[in-house]
Amino acid sequence: MELFNKTAVELSSMLKNKEISSVDLTNSVFDRIEKVEGKVDAYVTLNKENALLKAQEIDAKIANGEELHPLAGIPIGIKDNISTKGLRTTCSSKMLENYVPPFNATVMDKIDNAGMVVTGKLNMDEFAMGSSTENSYFKKTKNPFDETRIPGGSSGGSAAAVAASEAIVTLGSDTGGSIRQPASYCGVVGLKPTYGTVSRFGLVAFASSLDQIGPIGKCVEDVAMLQSLICGYDKMDATSAYREYPDFKANLSSDVKGLKIGLPKEYFGDGIDEYVKVSVMNAVKELEKNGAEIREISLPSTDYALSSYYIISSAEASSNLARYDGVKYGFRAENYDNLIDMYEKTRSEGFGDEVKRRIMLGTFVLSSGFYDAYYKKAKLLQRRISAEFSESFKDIDVIATPTVPSTAFKIGENIGDPLKMYATDVCTVTINIAGLPAMSIPCGYDNAGLPIGLQLIGDKFSEQKLLNTAYAYEKLFGGFKLPTL
Amino acid sequence: MNIDIKHIAKLSRLHIEDEKLSKFEADMQNIVDMVEKLPDINEELNLDESNAMTLREDKAVLNKYTRQELMQNAQSVKAGCLVVPKTVE
Amino acid sequence: MNKDYEVVIGLETHAELSTESKIFCDCKNAFGLEVNSQVCPICMGMPGTLPTLNEKVVDYAIMMGHALNCSINRVCKQDRKNYFYPDLPKAYQISQDETPLCQNGYVDIMVNGEEKRIGITRIHIEEDAGKLLHSDKFEGCSLVDLNRCGVPLIEIVSEPDMRSSEEAKAYLETLKSILQYLDICDCKMQEGSIRCDVNVSVHKKGEPFGTRTEMKNVNSFSAAVRGIDFEVKRQIEVLENGGTITQETRRWDDAKGESVSMRSKEDAHDYRYFPEPDLKTIVVEQERIDNLKSLIPELPNKKIVKYVKEYGLSQKDATFIAENIEIAKLFDGCMTKNLYSAKSYTTWILGDLVAYLNETGKTLSQTNINAENLTALVEKIEKKVISNANGKKIFAIIVNEDKDIDNLIDEMGLTQVSDTSALEAIADEVLANNEKSVTDYKNGKTNALGFLVGQCMKASKGKANPGMMKEIILKKIDS
Repeated sequence: MELFNKTAVELSSMLKNKEISSVDLTNSVFDRIEKVEGKVDAYVTLNKENALLKAQEIDAKIANGEELHPLAGIPIGIKDNISTKGLRTTCSSKMLENYVPPFNATVMDKIDNAGMVVTGKLNMDEFAMGSSTENSYFKKTKNPFDETRIPGGSSGGSAAAVAASEAIVTLGSDTGGSIRQPASYCGVVGLKPTYGTVSRFGLVAFASSLDQIGPIGKCVEDVAMLQSLICGYDKMDATSAYREYPDFKANLSSDVKGLKIGLPKEYFGDGIDEYVKVSVMNAVKELEKNGAEIREISLPSTDYALSSYYIISSAEASSNLARYDGVKYGFRAENYDNLIDMYEKTRSEGFGDEVKRRIMLGTFVLSSGFYDAYYKKAKLLQRRISAEFSESFKDIDVIATPTVPSTAFKIGENIGDPLKMYATDVCTVTINIAGLPAMSIPCGYDNAGLPIGLQLIGDKFSEQKLLNTAYAYEKLFGGFKLPTL
Repeated sequence: MNIDIKHIAKLSRLHIEDEKLSKFEADMQNIVDMVEKLPDINEELNLDESNAMTLREDKAVLNKYTRQELMQNAQSVKAGCLVVPKTVE
Repeated sequence: MNKDYEVVIGLETHAELSTESKIFCDCKNAFGLEVNSQVCPICMGMPGTLPTLNEKVVDYAIMMGHALNCSINRVCKQDRKNYFYPDLPKAYQISQDETPLCQNGYVDIMVNGEEKRIGITRIHIEEDAGKLLHSDKFEGCSLVDLNRCGVPLIEIVSEPDMRSSEEAKAYLETLKSILQYLDICDCKMQEGSIRCDVNVSVHKKGEPFGTRTEMKNVNSFSAAVRGIDFEVKRQIEVLENGGTITQETRRWDDAKGESVSMRSKEDAHDYRYFPEPDLKTIVVEQERIDNLKSLIPELPNKKIVKYVKEYGLSQKDATFIAENIEIAKLFDGCMTKNLYSAKSYTTWILGDLVAYLNETGKTLSQTNINAENLTALVEKIEKKVISNANGKKIFAIIVNEDKDIDNLIDEMGLTQVSDTSALEAIADEVLANNEKSVTDYKNGKTNALGFLVGQCMKASKGKANPGMMKEIILKKIDS
């Protein structure tokens, strides 16, 4: 098997045993990128030169017998909304086309210190707003399982790169499903951690109270290992949780005996495609056969989650994206008459339509006279949704649902219809609203061979339990299957 | 409900071309309609004492960045300052 | 001013807190350094950066809350105030909207010898903005210096309780002296460490309050007085000419001495406040709040009242002493010994001491004067050990040097002679040598007595007790 097709866990032990070098591995991944990137379009910026320097540095350390992090020397791709010092960070927007951060995101310091090799910056929906990566200013990323289809979004580049073996693991960010939904469409494993688990410092904000960085990989072990690396309290992020985390990979267990799995009926309704329901139910039954207990539950406020999500996320986005005015960094329009004209032209030319739509929605829901009817109501519903989950988790361990109502749609299919596009997030946004951890793992393929995802949702800070459940199922199902590219 | 899309655009410092206005307005209206189906909740948003944050110690760190590093992404810099069209004063 | 009208004034005062670092990042909080040299990705509002709240800012605001008799909201939060302007890099200011850190307080001020209570609506914490630089040389551009971005501010909002520009000035001066006492603000007006927005309305007596206007860009207390007086006159003129006052924001132009409407500058403000999602709840332990309260010294406005009412000082003298922390401390130190009248100390403090400080440009702590040596000096004079004139000689020495007063008196031979026989001998000699003056006095020229006492003092080399000397001479002439 080619090196680029292997998992981080396999490669880690090969590096440790000096069966391969990090330079070999990095070259293998860049060869792969050269071969398939033209079809997939996962990357916005490649970092080959620095990646090889880093790989050499790691190889030297291994040769010296230094004790290294298990992920040292492993190639990782980074979503392009995570600040990388000296490497441009565009958010797939014209606004930040040439923006080079003078500082690292906290997660990037951790990645660098662990000795991981950064392959480059991955494509996404502009400022993480979207569900298909079609909203990128630069390019449309394709689904490695069918190049006429979207990879999902907004972390479409991150999921497609893993599926296409253009990176061993990647980082994405998830505000309403942006890790899980593309992971589902691309048949890979993605984790959206509990809010506050991974520092947001350096993650370009879309919706501050919902955004969370998380890992994507080919298998549960890879995701567990990367999550252990990136999580942890950060004094630079006031919303970061002050607590200790276990070594998720070391503690992985596939024993699900007595595990109580909840099936919320609201997630198996009319909007969900039949083959998705069947596939998810089969997965749950597999777990049941191995000792898990299945409980039907109800989360009645689920119906309100999507609306609440769009109000809260757009409100925060309208404020977070106000700083892009052409003064301190980023794009500035060429011709303008005065200050206000410069602001308006810069922002109108620098942002795409979806970003403008959300900024305007956010401005509207916060504007004088509408705050109570929209923003405040959404926050109250958020509290209610959270309370329902908390109540459920008194009796159950994990909730299982589909990640997305259907498999990947065609490029351009939903582009003119925001509501239809937003509906693909219906199973995922609730989890961000409640601040919970959730994963998507592959659980089947439709007739066209497109991946279907199982979403596992846990109580706050129950990542280990989620990973264990996913690990157990992965062993039963067989895990990630390579697409033919 | 009617949305004054031009006013919202102005507040957002966005200029929406006339031909796109109605599309934006319709999209917004759809979302607003969706939102208006939400139930009324007669509750208040209280501050959550359990969600307390840790404050930072008052210590200054000097010379973390050079001005050059911080200004390198700006479109227009003069005499160490950012340049903007003349503001009313 | 038209006597039919009553004026209503409320003030929003911004004070920069003198913390070491900024409110949301660890950049140095300093004034006057090279442009854009005290900035970092956080206060520049770079993508992905996050704020962390400086604990000192919370402490200082709570101290001011205590000083202004506010209730402290030990659980509160921060909100975003959204607006576009080049001096605000994030395009929102992190401030406090619904729940300020402190609210419902008051402060007592003194105007024309009378105490007046001004309500304090709220005190909240927020970040300052940067500065725009303008010059004709900039060719249609303005330059942006972000050094001031993130400098911590407290905004103190008063109730509309002031009725004249004089009261407004007294209120501002009281706030300033309290900030200085608490040592939480530099109070350098020329550096803009205290700024205020002024809300003014007028109404005919007996009628409800009129429509108010808000005046910005008021950068000194005297400008506040000028601005208020201008605005009151303008509003009355509008009303007298049958017009109505529009609720609006006006900009005070101190050089021109007029306020101008700012309506044209920005379309109607809609700040779209919402809770700052990058920060969690501010929760301050009650114990911490109580500890901060115990740090509050007796405040200058209270001292003024005490000095006037208990010690009989004039408001002017009382204010002068109270508003200078060091001098007030010196005066209070002298008064705690409770030996002599307040006047016996204020004569020295407001006389020789202030003259010395003015002359040398020193502050009190740069001199050697303290409550111990000043009370000792006063005691020597009151007990007639030395004369007042020789007291001045001693003062001129001890202000600079750490010397024992008793030793000085000995060394300089300044001990006042109060021995009757010695004084009588001097008197006999002087009277014998100045018969003409004795005759003059007897003929009704009473100022001849002063001359004779002066001659005696001279003969004693200043050591004679002048009071006793005078009595002896009188007795001898009359006998």
